[in-house]
Amino acid sequence: MSVSERIERLKSEALSAVASGTSTADLEDVRVRFLGRSAELTEIKKSIGALSPEERKEVGRSSNRASREIEAALGSRTEEVAARELEERLQAEAVDVTLPGVPFQRGHLHPSQMVIDDVVDFFVGLGYRVAEGPEVETDYYNFTALGIPPGHPARTMQDTFFVDEGLVLRTQTSPMQIRTMLSQGPPVYVVCPGRTYRRDSDPTHTPMFHQVEGLAVDRGLTLGHLKGTLAAMARHVFGGGVEIRLRPSYFQFTEPSVEMDVSCFVCGGTDPDCKVCKGAGWLEMLGAGMVDPGVLEEVGYDPEEYTGYAFGMGPDRMAMVKYGVPDLRLFFEGDLRFLRQF
Amino acid sequence: LRVPLSWLHEYLDFDLSADELVDLFSLRSQEIDGVYRLGVSEGEVVVGEVVEFGPHPNADRLFVAKVDLGGREVQIVAGAPNPRPGDRVPVVLPGSVMADGTKLREARLRGLASYGMMMSERELGISANHGGIVLLDDSYDVGRPVADYFPVGETVLDIDVTPNRPDLWGMIGVARELAAILETGYRTPEPTYVAEGRPTHDFGLRVEAEDLCPRYDLRRVSDLEPGQEAPLIVRRRIYAAGMRPINAVVDATNYVMLETGQPIHAFDAARVREGIVVRRGREKEKITLLDGSTRVLDEEMLVIADEERGLVIAGVMGAEDAEVGDETTDALIEVANFEGRNILQTSQKLGLRTDASGRFERGLDPNMVDYAMERVCALLTQDPGGIPADDTLSHYPHPVEPWRVPLRLVRAELLLGMPVKMEEASERLEALGCEVEREDGRLLATVPTFRRDLRREADLVEEVGRLIGLDKVPETLPAVPQAGRLTESQQQARSLRRLLADLGLAEAITYPFGPERWTADLSMEGEAVGLENPLSVEDGYLRTSILPGLLDATARNKAFGARGGALFELGNVFLADIPHDDLREAALRFRMTGELGAQEAGRLMGVREASKIGVVLAGTVRPAGWNVPEFEAGFFEAKGLVERLVPGGRFVPATRPHLHPGRSAAVLVGDDEAGWVGELHPEVAGRFGLEGWPVAALELEAAVCRPDPEPRFVPFVNVPAVARDLAVLVEERIPVGDMLRSVLDLHRSLLAEARVFDVYAGSPVPQGQKSVAFGFTFQGEKTLTDEEVDAEVGRILRRLEDEFGVLLRS
Repeated sequence: MSVSERIERLKSEALSAVASGTSTADLEDVRVRFLGRSAELTEIKKSIGALSPEERKEVGRSSNRASREIEAALGSRTEEVAARELEERLQAEAVDVTLPGVPFQRGHLHPSQMVIDDVVDFFVGLGYRVAEGPEVETDYYNFTALGIPPGHPARTMQDTFFVDEGLVLRTQTSPMQIRTMLSQGPPVYVVCPGRTYRRDSDPTHTPMFHQVEGLAVDRGLTLGHLKGTLAAMARHVFGGGVEIRLRPSYFQFTEPSVEMDVSCFVCGGTDPDCKVCKGAGWLEMLGAGMVDPGVLEEVGYDPEEYTGYAFGMGPDRMAMVKYGVPDLRLFFEGDLRFLRQF
Repeated sequence: LRVPLSWLHEYLDFDLSADELVDLFSLRSQEIDGVYRLGVSEGEVVVGEVVEFGPHPNADRLFVAKVDLGGREVQIVAGAPNPRPGDRVPVVLPGSVMADGTKLREARLRGLASYGMMMSERELGISANHGGIVLLDDSYDVGRPVADYFPVGETVLDIDVTPNRPDLWGMIGVARELAAILETGYRTPEPTYVAEGRPTHDFGLRVEAEDLCPRYDLRRVSDLEPGQEAPLIVRRRIYAAGMRPINAVVDATNYVMLETGQPIHAFDAARVREGIVVRRGREKEKITLLDGSTRVLDEEMLVIADEERGLVIAGVMGAEDAEVGDETTDALIEVANFEGRNILQTSQKLGLRTDASGRFERGLDPNMVDYAMERVCALLTQDPGGIPADDTLSHYPHPVEPWRVPLRLVRAELLLGMPVKMEEASERLEALGCEVEREDGRLLATVPTFRRDLRREADLVEEVGRLIGLDKVPETLPAVPQAGRLTESQQQARSLRRLLADLGLAEAITYPFGPERWTADLSMEGEAVGLENPLSVEDGYLRTSILPGLLDATARNKAFGARGGALFELGNVFLADIPHDDLREAALRFRMTGELGAQEAGRLMGVREASKIGVVLAGTVRPAGWNVPEFEAGFFEAKGLVERLVPGGRFVPATRPHLHPGRSAAVLVGDDEAGWVGELHPEVAGRFGLEGWPVAALELEAAVCRPDPEPRFVPFVNVPAVARDLAVLVEERIPVGDMLRSVLDLHRSLLAEARVFDVYAGSPVPQGQKSVAFGFTFQGEKTLTDEEVDAEVGRILRRLEDEFGVLLRS
């Protein structure tokens, strides 16, 4: 058998082996067998030097062509088989995509804190600072400095927890306003969030609750500034569409005093059976007013030169309204069935 | 204050629905708590005459009547037995709607047709009496609408009067306020009567406690007809205003109180010995009140007495002794003014609040006494038919005069943020009863004495502003001249809370007070601060740790079927920090007056507050999924949180009584103890109702937690790192953390990272030893050769051999 014939035979053997190879591993074997270092075709190429120049040229050309054809066949066959194998593997790897994923547990912030953060962020955005103060407060800061001296009837309106002689659990966050004004001169723009305490317990009163109070003292501050500020805050917390209204009220440390209602952010006053506003169209939201001149004098500010406004709100109640919680007591029981909803 | 609208109409004319009135009053004056309806809200009630009355043939407790409604006779079934033929009765016609919303229809009751209903006092809104049908006298014409005589339906507004407005505790005050809002007038009844009764000066009057009684007026009304009921119109008004009609004399005093806001007391003159003495209570003096209770007085309480005994706790409630009753024919009428704060204290001490004390405690106008006295005398001449004396004994040593308050218009405009015209301001104040003088740019208001709240310019500004309408105030924003920000600790608190929530925990907020055993059960150090007036003994002490509140919440969750949970709370704890005895006085002065003296405030407070973060992991925090194991509470779960909160914190075995002695550690930051972490001692878990659950907890000073320190860039080389493992055997007691730190502390090491990936004790590891497997990552300036890495691992092994006696595990 001539060399050329051997080459032809090898080529046809190789091509049929390629054609019958069904896996990438088979095809790799085929490659080693026909094109590897010790393959017959390789041996033929190695021995080419021993041939005559004409034969050398002929054998060289045909062996190279055979190699190329086998390579090409292997290449395309391998590609084909590999694609099928990948397809099969991916099919075999299919999962039930409806099974749950690996859990990354969601935690929960307390609803009152969410409202507090929201309100505080709003005021920080306007340029307010945030005050801090103790929860066990002195009689002076909690009452007297706010125009409620010993024996004043307003003291009985706030069922106070007494800690020791002259010490109470603060009944309001207002003492922080006094502490702020005593520690700096005007202008003052500050919000005071915190826990407050009153001796009271029913579905709408808990012995501990939160307040956020705010205070601004500067030259030329008016009730209009207060109204605009509160309206913007209400829209920040309850949505851009709400309106506010002020009603006259009474607080010891403001004059004039007002209460603010927010238009119902659910029905806008159009639904007489609305669960949120009970058909009233308005939700009582907070108390506010122009800082009483007596309070300014108490902290050494000149009430002729400076005016100010103060406001106080209950973020727990705001959270109740915003999230539709019917009972305030739920906020402070640490019940996971409650906390997990926020 | 409950205000029946028909009563209000006596003083002014207005044409507003109840809803409109509520809106207007709320936006201009006071909040309205509610609107109530009484009697018949729609339909007609006519006077009928009973023609026949007898038992219902088919029912034991029913009756049947034939009633003449003025030209036509109807049959009515009744539930009450009292009418007799010839009696005149109110009959409500079919189609009418009662106050509670029920609609009356022509009906058949036990087989008999019934046209409408004969009405009881309760059904007519006259009183709570439902015992019988109202019998009208002959002045009521048969067939005429009852409404021609008195209103058969009533709408009542419940006004929530703020404490600065005692002038609104009477109908006339409300009428004046409403007139000011509506810019209209109002009228008050003119009392007229003949004063020729027996003289008041048969009795004496002595005011001993002048400081508690600015004014005391006493007048006699004699020749009363005993046992009289007040006129129907008086009774129904008293009832609609929320009080109970009693008898003609008492009802007259209550009526005038409701009308003017001035409480009035009536004594049976026959039972008063010699005269009236206004004095302080005597020590251990006892008095038996109208409500049957016996009260012990003290020297701070004001008593109205005669020469022998106490008759009334002034401004609060009278004794049975000298009260007017059905047999009274001769009465002494007291119209007085008591010091409000004292009445409040007395009422609080006795736990007794009455219509009178609630009015006195706000501080009433002593000049109101005159009109109230005239008015009650006039009323007493009516149904009880009394005759007032022409003399009044009066003690009023320091008459209160009106005062003057200036109002600058620029000031009003500044505070209100809207234009205020002189004319408008003047008119508004005049409508409230002020006399106003106008000057250049300001006005001078002479304030009537019933408006004790109007003392300063700002008070007048409020009145002008609210009557113009707060809706007219524009919305503007101030130009705030500073940058807003949270303080560092506020930012930190917020990032801690968000971090723990992001890690899957739930934020709780719990009450910071609990039972004394909270501290004892946890064997916490530090003295708890007690409350003087807790809600209950179970809430008597302030927390010294966040833990107990979270444990109680966890126990509650367990009781409601939770399988576990992860709660955290960021809040204050409270530790007693009682000032030394020699600072006690300074402390008290500071607390009451804010005066510091030479001391620091912190030393005088008596309580130290610290902000802490507490976490409780309990039970199965997360149950197993199909592809993940369950997450159970345990020491290392809690420790992992501490490592996240306090990177670089150190853990030393240190136990506390409330923690598992073998599974707890103190957390150190630098050299300072910053808190603790551990599993709860099973006995403590039991005390909190958590038996059977693994519970791990931690508590840290919030201030030391720096979970995300400010980043600082460290350069790195682009050369591949090499990983190697090393497993050693070591004595079981050796802390792996110490081994790890020792390895990381190796001088000039190429070690970039070290972790522990396996710790194992038990066969085939020899008894008393454990196998510890480390994973190391090495990083050099250039690609490390195998030999270099081997040398590094060798150094590590030698260090571990030298320090901990480890053996290389083959």
